[in-house]
Amino acid sequence: MAATYAPRKEPSGGVSLAFLYLFPGLAGFAIIVLLPALMNAGLSLFAWKGLGVPRFIGSENYLKLLADDAFWASMQHTAAFILAMAVIPTVLGLMLAAVLFDYVSTRFGQAWASFFRAGFYLPQILPISAAGVLWGWILSPIGALNAILKSMGLDNLALNWLGDADLALAAVMGVMVWLQLGYALVVFMAGLARADPSLYEAAEIDGASWLQRLWWITVPLLRPEIFVVGLTTTIAALKVFGPVFVLTTGGPDDATIVPSYFAYYHFFQTFRVGYGAAITTVQMIMTIVLGTLFLRVQSQRESDSA
Amino acid sequence: MRLAGIALGLAATASVLVCDVAAQERTFTVWWYEPPESAMGIAWKAALEEFEKRHPDVKVQFEFKTFDQIVRSGNMILNSDEVPDVLEYNKGNGVAGLAASQGLMAPLDEVAKEKGWDKILDDAATQFGRYDERGIYGSGPLVGIAVYGEFVSVFYNKEMFEKAGVELPTTLAEFEEAMDVFVKQGITPIALAANDFPAQHLMYLFALSQVGPEWVKDFQGLRKPLDEAPFVYAGRKLQEWVDKGYISADSVALKADDMLGLFKAGKSPMLVSGTWYSTALSKLDFPVNKFLFPGNRISPASTGNIWIVPAHAKEKDLAYEFIDITLGKENQTLLGNSGGLPIAADPATITDPVAKLDATLFNQLVAQDGLGYYEDWPVPGFYDLMLKSTQAVINKSITPEEFAQRIKDAYDEALDSL
Amino acid sequence: MTTATAAAVTRSARALDPRLSGARYTRGPGRWIVLALLLALLAVFFFPFVLAIANAIKTPADYASHGPLGVPHSFSLRALADFWTNVDFTRKLTNSILLSGLVAIFGVFLSLLNAYAIGIGKVRGGRPILVLLLLSIMIPQEALVYPIYFMSKAAGLFDSLASCIIVFSVLQSAFGTYLLASVLSTFPREIIEAARVDGANSWQILWLVIVPILRPTLAVLATFFFIWTWNEFLLPLVLLISNDTQTVTVAMGVLHGQYVSDPTAIAAAALLGMMPTVLFFLVFQRTLTRGVIVGAVK
Repeated sequence: MAATYAPRKEPSGGVSLAFLYLFPGLAGFAIIVLLPALMNAGLSLFAWKGLGVPRFIGSENYLKLLADDAFWASMQHTAAFILAMAVIPTVLGLMLAAVLFDYVSTRFGQAWASFFRAGFYLPQILPISAAGVLWGWILSPIGALNAILKSMGLDNLALNWLGDADLALAAVMGVMVWLQLGYALVVFMAGLARADPSLYEAAEIDGASWLQRLWWITVPLLRPEIFVVGLTTTIAALKVFGPVFVLTTGGPDDATIVPSYFAYYHFFQTFRVGYGAAITTVQMIMTIVLGTLFLRVQSQRESDSA
Repeated sequence: MRLAGIALGLAATASVLVCDVAAQERTFTVWWYEPPESAMGIAWKAALEEFEKRHPDVKVQFEFKTFDQIVRSGNMILNSDEVPDVLEYNKGNGVAGLAASQGLMAPLDEVAKEKGWDKILDDAATQFGRYDERGIYGSGPLVGIAVYGEFVSVFYNKEMFEKAGVELPTTLAEFEEAMDVFVKQGITPIALAANDFPAQHLMYLFALSQVGPEWVKDFQGLRKPLDEAPFVYAGRKLQEWVDKGYISADSVALKADDMLGLFKAGKSPMLVSGTWYSTALSKLDFPVNKFLFPGNRISPASTGNIWIVPAHAKEKDLAYEFIDITLGKENQTLLGNSGGLPIAADPATITDPVAKLDATLFNQLVAQDGLGYYEDWPVPGFYDLMLKSTQAVINKSITPEEFAQRIKDAYDEALDSL
Repeated sequence: MTTATAAAVTRSARALDPRLSGARYTRGPGRWIVLALLLALLAVFFFPFVLAIANAIKTPADYASHGPLGVPHSFSLRALADFWTNVDFTRKLTNSILLSGLVAIFGVFLSLLNAYAIGIGKVRGGRPILVLLLLSIMIPQEALVYPIYFMSKAAGLFDSLASCIIVFSVLQSAFGTYLLASVLSTFPREIIEAARVDGANSWQILWLVIVPILRPTLAVLATFFFIWTWNEFLLPLVLLISNDTQTVTVAMGVLHGQYVSDPTAIAAAALLGMMPTVLFFLVFQRTLTRGVIVGAVK
């Protein structure tokens, strides 16, 4: 939140009138976000099948959650998704952005750099369900990837990508990297617009290797972008749903279950609405805590550098 | 403002769409998930045409769903106002029972009497259409009408059997010997899908091979804590069959359609599934026939999926009339002659060879008290539990004992909370 | 692709152009290796698209005999046409366009009103309100989905596009408010004061002074809302259950083998599902990449 706000000395234009403009937005927010979020948190204290009168059971849902293997599995998988959606795309995106900026564009021209940027960005805009249909077909044991491997005589490598409990998570993670890399790349390349090319030239003349330039010039320069990308992708990883729903429905045997799918399952399939609400409340708290923490750190850094 | 122009345009289109729904015209909505090439798909399409002929003023809206969609989001849909007027639904405590116990289905007892359905369908044929206030089948108001029967058996590719010189097996041992022949040729004998219902049916067949009718009644009726020994055996057999190459662990990621694809492509000479595929599989490039699972007295079998009328349905009378058409002699005969297993047809009028064989085998099952119903019926959420656990045991990420224990835990918990 | 370059990047590129900054870069064969590696990586990225296109236009028999990698020996739009009619793709497209289009408009409108009050009107507590609105982005939709499902049933809006339009307009406006408020907080006061002296009221100032100046930013925002809404999955999956109201994204997500029993049909389905956004991307590529930057760095 690097936005700057003019000091609010005197309300020009009248307080009451300005508030009128806020009314639709705030009303919408109250009805669509605040009320449901509170309702959901409240529901987590009840046993309810979606019909009839909810029965108050206090913290029972939460206690059950703590003893539920599927819940802990979903938490572990969230860590894996943070790796696949936040960490790896950030690292790869950084390196790729640096290559495109101080190597490709200087040696081959800006057009090539733009071309690569657009190419890597494309998966980002696809509906996940459509991408999921495609990847599901590619990764099926009788799908395209295995057909290709077998035609090359690599029968041993033709594995059950989405069906083997040990592979399924890795396979879905691979799809997520494919999906997320472009976002990091585009943001980092934009940030590099601030870079002073002479700095890179000087470093190169002084014999600094590409990796050294990346570490000593690019990374410090892109710190705000790295921060933003890290924050947004981590939040996205905490609530990932679509890819799991489309590719594996959490299986095989919960090997790829994530909190969102776990909650969806209880809300709409077993009708344990209170239990689903407990899961999502935990998820909501985690996200808000993480988001606030990130923002704290950032504003601290801002005031430090100010 | 160009944006405003677009906004107006979109809003206008939106209002057209809304008006479309709110028009004066009566609309009759029906959903089912039997594939169009199945006997039910054929017969019900004809029933819908008949319905349209009788009601030229009614707009008929049909939606083709999947089993998966209904088993996963059926109750969520019933629990809203946006329901079809009549839809095909899954039987059993877990799905239909749960919805019935929450009052989401219209009671049909009076209509059944009025339309004479009670004379066509005996108690055995309606027991999975009745659910009590706890959602247990067998008693309570009638909420679902089954118009056909079904059972799970082994479909086989005659050409491949003849080429391999394999005789039809009558015992489990013979069955396994026959499969060894295919395995030696590098062929996986049985096409399977464990990311869908078929693997559960195979698992349940193994369990049923260990029990008598009394166990089935206890299991389906939630009468006492689960005797899980048959499931230990089932888990063991599944793992043994994977080891011996009779089925492939690849199946864990496959859907029923993938399984059909493997069978149709001649990659596997057999598949274990229900009569809902009889018609489609009789129209392949090679001859297909079926036999009951060797060595089993009991097989997964029952009256078919039920028609239900949602409690919130707007055109209930039209829904009753549609059900009545599908129960009529004419439609039942068509169902049979399309290769299905009608519930109320005159056997003399059925000439289709597939339907005749199905009827013979089904009657054989009934005669030997061999209707095992289905593994996912007893408890809500069992379909997914069975799906996951069967995947896990095939993948060997759990032992057969752990597999059975999971089922027992969920079963006994449901029993306690009754 | 040069047109796609964001202005800022072009500026730095000019500074970096070897002709301007002196041809001191190594021009050895090494650079071709780097380029080849990058192209190879990009090829891996594009591989799924190529597979989808190549197999969607094959006949099933061609697929069976030559496999997924085989160059198409046949050309058939049958799989695409079949999928299109079977799932009534026209209807899904209409639904998606309606939903995304209206959300883009209403979302921008809401954002603008909010931002006007906070950035120009300087209402008391503007900053806390902004942070509060950001909760819409942070709270996982899963935590809202059941109450929203329940409320939409109570309001009689279940299974209608209207429910999704309302929900997403509000959810998207959080980001829009955030972005526009920071833009407006640096808006030159003199222009507003001048308009006020000329007798314009605050409503007129918004529409006649601010909106025309902000138009490029609003366009970026609308483009973004459109594509984000198009790709939304969970809430439409829960709220839109009948075939008539489903969006492209939901329809793709609930296929589960329906209509896609052979590989060419799956490829066709995937291709059709991706095509609208790919076309959109090609048309709005510049706006979209600029939008990411605006959104991320602000």
